[in-house]
Amino acid sequence: MQPFTSLTAIAAPLDIAKLDTGMIVPGRFQRLPRRPGYNDYARVFLHDLRFDEQEQPCPRFVLNQPWYHGAGILVTGPDFGCGSSRESAAYATLDFGVRALIGASFGDVYRGNCMQNGVLTIVLPQPVVSGLMAQLQNAPGIAMTVDLPRQIVIAPDGTTHAFDIDATRKERLLKGLDDVGVTLQHLPQIEAFEAQYRTDMPWLKQLI
Amino acid sequence: MTTPLTLFDRVWARHVIVPHPQGEDLLYVDKNLVHEGGTFLAFDQMRAEGHKVRKPRQALAVTDHYLPSTNRATAPASIAHPEIRRVVEALDTNAREFGIEHYGVHHPRQGIIHVIGPELGWTQPGLLIACCDSHTATHGALGALPIPIGQSNQLRHVLATQTLWQKKPNTFRISINGALGAHVSAKDVILAIIAHIGIGGAVGHAVEYAGSTIRAMSIEGRMTSCNMSIEAGARIGMSAPDDTTCRYLHGRPLAPSGADWDQALAYWRTLPSHPDARFNRELSLDASDVAPMVSWGTSPEDSSPITGRVPDPASITGSEKRSRVARALDYMKLTPGTPLAGIRIDRVFIGSCTNARIEDLRTAAAVVKGRKAVVPAMVVPGSSTVKRAAEAEGLDKIFLAAGFEWLDASCSMCGGSNGDSLAPGQRSASTTNRNFEGRQGLGALTHIMSPAMAAAAAVTGWLTDVRTL
Ligand code: SF4
Repeated sequence: MQPFTSLTAIAAPLDIAKLDTGMIVPGRFQRLPRRPGYNDYARVFLHDLRFDEQEQPCPRFVLNQPWYHGAGILVTGPDFGCGSSRESAAYATLDFGVRALIGASFGDVYRGNCMQNGVLTIVLPQPVVSGLMAQLQNAPGIAMTVDLPRQIVIAPDGTTHAFDIDATRKERLLKGLDDVGVTLQHLPQIEAFEAQYRTDMPWLKQLI
Repeated sequence: MTTPLTLFDRVWARHVIVPHPQGEDLLYVDKNLVHEGGTFLAFDQMRAEGHKVRKPRQALAVTDHYLPSTNRATAPASIAHPEIRRVVEALDTNAREFGIEHYGVHHPRQGIIHVIGPELGWTQPGLLIACCDSHTATHGALGALPIPIGQSNQLRHVLATQTLWQKKPNTFRISINGALGAHVSAKDVILAIIAHIGIGGAVGHAVEYAGSTIRAMSIEGRMTSCNMSIEAGARIGMSAPDDTTCRYLHGRPLAPSGADWDQALAYWRTLPSHPDARFNRELSLDASDVAPMVSWGTSPEDSSPITGRVPDPASITGSEKRSRVARALDYMKLTPGTPLAGIRIDRVFIGSCTNARIEDLRTAAAVVKGRKAVVPAMVVPGSSTVKRAAEAEGLDKIFLAAGFEWLDASCSMCGGSNGDSLAPGQRSASTTNRNFEGRQGLGALTHIMSPAMAAAAAVTGWLTDVRTL
């Protein structure tokens, strides 16, 4: 996983509420292999919003407008990523080049998957998000900054907005630390837990 | 004196290996379920890193999402779509290589992952069950603690460590009391709940379904309710184990037996929420207010009693909701004010982990019996076991006589992964859990409802109040 520290990038306003994971990656793309290093899922990110039935880009869709090319930050409507748990939605977000999402709320599973893949999701109050959205709409293609160490978002107009993040999650994002490695440091505790479990729940001892 | 605990708090606490009060606890995973959709990514990564499955006996792999619902005998070789075939074959290879038991294409116990866990007694009260699928909450109907995980990173973590980092959600008790009316089922109850609290209404919460209505429900009914917890934003849904649960589990192939059964039972009895336990949120509904429901929009919260009408966005206060509803109606090609009963449909799908258990098929068959489907209609049993049980009761004959297709267990047209999908613009009456845009195929128009309501729609050709049939 790529570490996340501070990111200054073009930010795109995606002002659609409840944009679910099925729209982030339509079901028919879920069996797409994802080879390391190829960003295979970039093409399918928000596919049916970005492309028409002839696979032609929809010119009116915000991310197809030239000034948002290379956007690394998305400011989203509420409940972005609700719906199915498909992890490909997080892959597609990452492969498309987005490293940070800012919204008033996110689908829980999607949010967890993003964090696991090094994509930072930031929850800010709706009025703040709407304010950011307006700034981005007024100056299309403008950049803004997400500073994870300081836990702040710096808006295009220079105002800063603090956000919360779980301390463990923050540390792992900063270090780009792999979850399995972190967990296996606890192996003695896991094994002790299992031993106790077999004593307490003897009907499970064949299994555990 | 100890604090009186909820069912959820009790089971959670029992699984904490490393507590982290402000962040994520390290939890022990008793059992985990793997299906073929997307999970090849997890195995590929484990292979590349040289990880093994730490506790292969605690995992079960099941093929369901991509499996064809016809010509099962010749699958997977006969799967025409090469990518689908590759996904199905990949799970077989991966399960074999990593030493996980696999209920694959031809296994007699194959079925939808959330149907077979409970029906085999693999799912048990008090167990922490992880599954790489958003409808994992189904297993909570037996009092297990279900945790949906991602299909690659998180699954890889569970397989490699048998643990999971999770932030503890808040608790939310939804109580339903009283008797349900005729033809009103668990599906109507859960749709009414979601319509009431909204698709984000329970985000960050573990829901416990309680109250006399839930107590009176069969395990199948409780599964239908728990199944759709995610449609209200809750990743976890549970219902306390009781006599119904124990009767349901007794004698199932993978349930404890003999002395083990007695010990397990004694433990299960300790699990229900203490009467004085406090929940972070509570909601109470009256069962007599619940009518047969149908969805009209593109989110399960867009559901109304069948006696209602397509809403008029103009009458909705709140601009965000107004524009969302307008967009949904535009997609669904519906005119505000149209009575829901009478909307013409093109197809009927009875299936999915929400409503394809034996009880669902019995209910649908009772409506269909002696009538004819006037639109194409299909029944896809939730598991091969359900299929055999239904055939033993003669339900297949009832459906076939009415002109329904009687197919092989898979997820089928629920998400369309196996190629069973609606044509663009086709409108379905479906017993599934999601009516999102494109869920049943590009441009598909999905109305979700109970098995009885879907059966009624099949025999009339339009959305129908089953009570008036
Ligand atoms: S039946 Fe539908 S909701 Fe259930 S596991 Fe299969 S695809 Fe998912």
